[in-house]
Amino acid sequence: MNEHDDKWEDQINALLDGELSADDADLLKAQASDDRVLARAIVEAYQLHQAMDQVKVERAPDSLTKRLNAIPREHRSAPVFSLFQPRWAMALAAVPLVVIAVSLMRPDTPSASEIAQARQDLAIAFAYLDKAGAITGREIESTVGHTMANAVTGSVNKVIQSENLTSKEKEA
Amino acid sequence: MSRKYRQWVKEYQDQAWTVARYILKDAQEAEDATQEAFVKLWNHQDSIDPDRVKPWLMKVTRNGCLDRLRRRRDNVEFDESYMAGEVSGPMQGAAASETAAWLKRAISGLKEPYRSLVVLRDVNQHSYEEVAGMLELNLAQVKTYLHRARKQLREQLAEVRP
Repeated sequence: MNEHDDKWEDQINALLDGELSADDADLLKAQASDDRVLARAIVEAYQLHQAMDQVKVERAPDSLTKRLNAIPREHRSAPVFSLFQPRWAMALAAVPLVVIAVSLMRPDTPSASEIAQARQDLAIAFAYLDKAGAITGREIESTVGHTMANAVTGSVNKVIQSENLTSKEKEA
Repeated sequence: MSRKYRQWVKEYQDQAWTVARYILKDAQEAEDATQEAFVKLWNHQDSIDPDRVKPWLMKVTRNGCLDRLRRRRDNVEFDESYMAGEVSGPMQGAAASETAAWLKRAISGLKEPYRSLVVLRDVNQHSYEEVAGMLELNLAQVKTYLHRARKQLREQLAEVRP
């Protein structure tokens, strides 16, 4: 068998893989009966095939099995990484909202000292308002009175002047 | 999730270990490479098609081993301890175990991708299609390269036979 016999090489492998059709197998046998090199190649291929049956998948050592089974425990997602997961991001975003909501919902229960201070502040504020109100009232009264007088006299003068002008125009 | 992973360990650890063992020829390094592959499987389990876990794992295991070989830069080196005792030829002793030991050594001595092809197809018994996916080759390439690999082994076997 030489280089141009790649076809036979393929057929030998197909034969060993059980993929060669019966017709092609018969053809290969017929060719081998006239070709000693091909016949030898087929025999050697069978011998290799038989030898290969002795080579099995190797059993992983127990030490490796332990290492592989430990992977889920040793390689859980790191906390920093998990912060970026959607569920954690949403949870983190909800924290300030919860804090605000709780603070708003919390009942207002001031202490006695706070109440006393508030009453004092309120008394001062009312006293200021009373004083400021009195001053403001007088200012308003004087200002409004003067303005009202100007408004009335001014408007009357305008009406008189207007009527006077109209009568002159009619006479003309 | 952990249960599924443990099932994968149970089903595929031997095959991944075998690939690593043949390529690296060093038990400790093969363990490390196999562990690295399973760590990647654990970390990417949500993005891997459940039906493609085995070829994915074999591919990752092999690639990890080849990376280690490149770093080591001695991919022709043999670890003599891999074989139990010195065996000059498979037929010197009649025991099948000696033939197997000789053949293991011969497979380990193949160049890539022939070595991986023989391990994945003839030792681990993956289908041609699976092997093609693992090695990112087409089916015709897998068959051509595998036939060359087998021919090399066949010729070596013939040389040592009485």
